[in-house]
Amino acid sequence: MTLAAWQVLPAEKNALQQAIASFTRSTGLTVKLEIIADKYMDVMRSRFAGRITPDVFYLDSHEAPILIRSGVLLPLDAYIGVPNDFYPQFLDAFRGADQQVYGLPKDYSTLALYINTGLLQKAGFSLADVPVDQGSLMDFARRLQAKLPRGVAAMILEKDLARHLAAIESYGQAVIDARGDARLVGNAGALTYLEAFVRGRKGGYVLSPKDDLGADSPGAAFGAGKTVMMMEGNWVLSALRQDYPEVRFVTREMPRINARANTMAFVVGYAVPRFAKNPQGGIRFAQFMTREAMKDWSRGSGTLPSRSGVQAELAATQDAALAAHIAGARYATVWSRGTSLPVLNTNFGNQFQAALNGSIPVAEALRRAQQASNREIERQR
Amino acid sequence: MNAGMKTAANTALNSTAVRAAASARSNRDASAAWAFLAPTLLLVAVFMLGPVLFALFASTQKMDLIGGHSQWAGTKNLQYLLDDHKFWAACRNTLRYVLFVVPLQTVLALALACVLNGRVKFKRGFVTLLFLPTLTSSAAMTMIFMWLFNNNGLVTQFIQAHFGITIRFLSDPAWALPVIMLMNVFSTTPHFMIVFLAGLQNVPRNLYEAMELDGAGALARHWFISVPQLAPITFYVVTMGLIGCFQVFDQAFIMSGGDGGPEDSTLTFTLLIYHFAFKTYNTMGLACMLAVVLTIIIVCATSLLNRLVKSEGHNA
Repeated sequence: MTLAAWQVLPAEKNALQQAIASFTRSTGLTVKLEIIADKYMDVMRSRFAGRITPDVFYLDSHEAPILIRSGVLLPLDAYIGVPNDFYPQFLDAFRGADQQVYGLPKDYSTLALYINTGLLQKAGFSLADVPVDQGSLMDFARRLQAKLPRGVAAMILEKDLARHLAAIESYGQAVIDARGDARLVGNAGALTYLEAFVRGRKGGYVLSPKDDLGADSPGAAFGAGKTVMMMEGNWVLSALRQDYPEVRFVTREMPRINARANTMAFVVGYAVPRFAKNPQGGIRFAQFMTREAMKDWSRGSGTLPSRSGVQAELAATQDAALAAHIAGARYATVWSRGTSLPVLNTNFGNQFQAALNGSIPVAEALRRAQQASNREIERQR
Repeated sequence: MNAGMKTAANTALNSTAVRAAASARSNRDASAAWAFLAPTLLLVAVFMLGPVLFALFASTQKMDLIGGHSQWAGTKNLQYLLDDHKFWAACRNTLRYVLFVVPLQTVLALALACVLNGRVKFKRGFVTLLFLPTLTSSAAMTMIFMWLFNNNGLVTQFIQAHFGITIRFLSDPAWALPVIMLMNVFSTTPHFMIVFLAGLQNVPRNLYEAMELDGAGALARHWFISVPQLAPITFYVVTMGLIGCFQVFDQAFIMSGGDGGPEDSTLTFTLLIYHFAFKTYNTMGLACMLAVVLTIIIVCATSLLNRLVKSEGHNA
């Protein structure tokens, strides 16, 4: 049988190969691993169109709805297993309109606040000075910036909706309503939240890692000491530990917004295509990886287990910096909102960038993003 | 039967036989020709004609490529397209692109070709150096340009240091497209320069000599002999440049990470086709409709050009 996956870090690849070996030992099925180097979902979509699919494959939570709605995945409810201790919102990310589950979550990442303690101390502040709520944190960033050397930002920010969805929704208005339409206008709290970033960029204390600092990624900017704080997923951790061992940092849960804890979760699952040559083998593998092998997989790959039971078993041996990420699993908003989300994501990114550049007010950016998205969403129906 | 009749009958018989033999041979020739053509015809049918016909069909459908569902949509796709501000953004961007890139690369290529056609030392060395950008992969070149123009890039810092202005080339919608234009000019000019150079070497020497005897200067010789003699080449260069501009994809794709930003300023026709085909749900038909519209636009633009620039040249 064949398994399709995207390019992963070396640690993850080793763990995957070990898991495959132990799967073959216990079931006698051999697995052909196919790594798709770039534009994973574009490749997968064309495979589905051509009906040449693997038997099981990695599926990102926010890409799942389109495949589910197209009806090309097999329902996997019967294979969730007992006890069902998957974090419920992770499983929900793979649920279709018919309430069936079309993917088994294998692991997840959440955002956390990373603080470079060395730079913080040099600027004359201590960790206790870093506020735990968003509004005060932005204010702190402004004060911190005044004490920093040239070329170092207090905080960096990515413009994508994937970073801001939880914050925007913590004011009670969902970005995609029950009909599937985009709703960004009329959310006063979210407006204030986003405006603070625009002010931050104008004031030079919240910068873009790529555009302003010329770094390839937020993790690279943080590792190179170009910023004191960043909000990133646990995927940066292994690179920070290996490539920048001299950087001292701590992680904290994301700042509270509207007095509520919030973070984003990015969930990856195993899904089985309807046209698979060996769907039973695919299902067996998905089941094995999310049940028997999850503990070994998480330990080997450094990813976070999507089942709370496994998490409890692993807690003692995990990197301390992961604690803030794991705490987020309980309240995280999953990056997945049906087939309208990719449309809204593109338009939001485009318009929010305009607002960050100062060419239009944030309110206007949100209005335009909503209008453009709804016109495009209409076409998908 | 007399001898005369016999001869006539023989001749008739002979000629029928000859004709039959000839037709058999031509049949054999034809089947041999078909056999030789078959591989290419098959490839053209499977990979060109087939997809073209499928795209024409798909452009009238509402199509979910992944699930394989489709339903009749008629001209609704066209209506959606004309109603879509992104389509018009792509139109505007492409028009700006064409108006800037085509004249600039043509004039630059011609100028460089003329300089190199004269008596220049190390001519081959210069040609090789100038040709290098064309050989570089566009993806690699885009990455290099992004390094040059990002906010810590060489160009940005140079402008900052010497003129005191900060330009955010890659995230400012007014600048993102010009950077891509510049890159395009940089990479395609050398190719067209070689084409012009080849054309210049075919211009008869005696024309120049005659004009020199008449006392014309170098500029006049260039303007009254080289330029008109190169008209067919210019037509080729402008047409290929035009088509290239309409089809620009990779640079815009890499620069904007695929989304055509900032503020749709790097959204091109082909990038929009890609969005419809692969990014959004149920819009494969729209992608094909846009491809059809793009084809029509290119055909119109090329035939318009055909009227403006006489492809036969002046001494035809």
